[in-house]
Amino acid sequence: MDDIRQRLIACFQVVFPNLPQEKIPGASPETVAEWDSVAGLTLMNVVEDEFGLQIDLDDLAGLDSFEKYRAYLEGRAASA
Amino acid sequence: MTITEALKIVQSAPRNAPPFAVTLACGFTPLHFQTFLAAHLQQALPDRHVTIATGLYGDLRGTLARVSEAELPDGLAVVLEWADLDPRLDFRSAGAWGGQAVSDIVASLDAAVEIVSLALERLPAGPRIALSLPTLPLPPLFHTAGWQTSEDEAALHAAITRFAAALAGQGRVALMNWQRLAEESPAAERLDLKTHLYTGFPYTAQHADKLASQLASLLAPPAPKKGIISDLDDTLWSGIVGEVGPEAVSWDLAGHAQLHGLYQKLLASLAGSGTLIAVASKNDPTAVQKTFERADLLLRAEQVFPIEVHWNAKSGSVGRILEAWNIGADSVVFVDDSPMELAEVAAAHPGIECVLFPKDDYNACLAMMRRLRDRCGKERVSQDDAVRLESLRQGAAFREQASGGAAPESFLQQLGALVTFDLAAWNEPRVMELVNKTNQFNLNGRRYTEADWRKLSSEPGAFLAAVSYEDKFGPLGTIAVAAGRMSGDTLTLESWVMSCRAFARRIEHQTLKLLFETTHADRILFDFTPTAKNGPLREFFASLLGEEPQPGFALTRSAFQAKCPALYHQVREMRRAEAHG
Repeated sequence: MDDIRQRLIACFQVVFPNLPQEKIPGASPETVAEWDSVAGLTLMNVVEDEFGLQIDLDDLAGLDSFEKYRAYLEGRAASA
Repeated sequence: MTITEALKIVQSAPRNAPPFAVTLACGFTPLHFQTFLAAHLQQALPDRHVTIATGLYGDLRGTLARVSEAELPDGLAVVLEWADLDPRLDFRSAGAWGGQAVSDIVASLDAAVEIVSLALERLPAGPRIALSLPTLPLPPLFHTAGWQTSEDEAALHAAITRFAAALAGQGRVALMNWQRLAEESPAAERLDLKTHLYTGFPYTAQHADKLASQLASLLAPPAPKKGIISDLDDTLWSGIVGEVGPEAVSWDLAGHAQLHGLYQKLLASLAGSGTLIAVASKNDPTAVQKTFERADLLLRAEQVFPIEVHWNAKSGSVGRILEAWNIGADSVVFVDDSPMELAEVAAAHPGIECVLFPKDDYNACLAMMRRLRDRCGKERVSQDDAVRLESLRQGAAFREQASGGAAPESFLQQLGALVTFDLAAWNEPRVMELVNKTNQFNLNGRRYTEADWRKLSSEPGAFLAAVSYEDKFGPLGTIAVAAGRMSGDTLTLESWVMSCRAFARRIEHQTLKLLFETTHADRILFDFTPTAKNGPLREFFASLLGEEPQPGFALTRSAFQAKCPALYHQVREMRRAEAHG
């Protein structure tokens, strides 16, 4: 699970290069000004690249924070 | 390239580098396509900071119309899809697909294409324009089954093809090659319908990457290689000529050697468009000469210079060929069927591109020939391309005569040289081409986009001289360009280049003389920067100054006159620029 967290932090660093690493675990559209719809789609694609999976666009609306991404990825890992 | 890799490339761009601004005109939400385009351009232009500006969703024509003279981008990427020509061809549209709608779409498509064509024509001069025509599949709206082309569908494609043919003929727009894109991005893997319907972005990540890559190549094309050096046995022809004899080597279907015939045709075609072709072969010179006399050889002997045939190392042959061509190894491709020979040449000439001739692998051979075309391909073929090889031969004769017997002064005196200065050649394609590919006699190594060049030409006091040369050995074509601006009693030269083919004729002295006389400048300020390759120009300056030139040095008229040797050229001046006439 730590591995998922670290890899997810790396994804956030790619999409939000100006976001300090310590703020990434609390990241959401409310705390990160650059997190708009375009950045949300880019983040989804970067996570897909990193974890080698496809995220359904219907799930994207629910993936609006670092924590929700982490939980989603851990869920996908557990069901794999 | 993945989106993650693209983002990392974009983020690593040098922030303080000169910008390379691109306007992306498309009707869809640009999303990752913008990122991929920026990344591929950044890779092609590592010394620039690429920025991409986009327009409004669904408003490709509006984005084109807003490109203004006041803030010209360096490049314009126009990505046209069917939806931009008729909204009913968009999967997001609620428009009907019935027979009447299809007829109306077909009837109005020419007019829609004409509107885009006019928008492109009205674009201000300067930015390089790259255009991709529809890459996405048409919706299944025709009455035929999918495996049959309907008259209406054919009519839509015909309208696009006519548009493409007209654009390609004009030369203003660089048009993407459909076939190459189809090889890299199969048609069935281009549309991501769900993302398109949810977000307005129609492409799969793979298609966005491939399309962006090709557009980047159109916007920032690599400099073409100047020459190809080829082996002979089992490369230019099939067989070892020293063993089987000139009549037995082959390059045709009958001898199962058509690959070699295709290679000959490619080299002949490249030679015809100005690529230099030479031969380096460990071989029997007499047998080779007799083979080159065969009437059925598809690459004519006169298209090849020099021909180095002996039993010594090929690296030595390549060195002499580079010397005869007077170009660097990094401008040349060496082709041989022997990996060992390729390795020997590569070790001796760092930067040379070594290519294996895969004589037993037909598909690999075709890929190799396409690679050579990619490396040497040119957007346009100029008169100078046609005379290049001949002028090199003449250059060899020139050097031979100059170094043997006759004193330099009397030799120069009896050349019958004519130097022609064109003072209004800013828009001649050859002028910018020369500026962007010359290394040895180059003031600072600076390369220009079309937009950069246009900015320079429109500065107050802008001045340009394009120099052509001919003598009794024949014409060299346009061989030098000096560009800058006049202010008060000072001419500042921002760019000065001269082809290495024109060395040793005192054309550089004649050029400075003309610059002083034409502009009435008391001094010339040179925007000089030493580079790894501009040693010949540095030496020329040192001969005038009596010391190593410093960046930004000035040369006064009197200092030049004191050092200028006798000049024997007849001088002709043409097309004086209106602003300075």
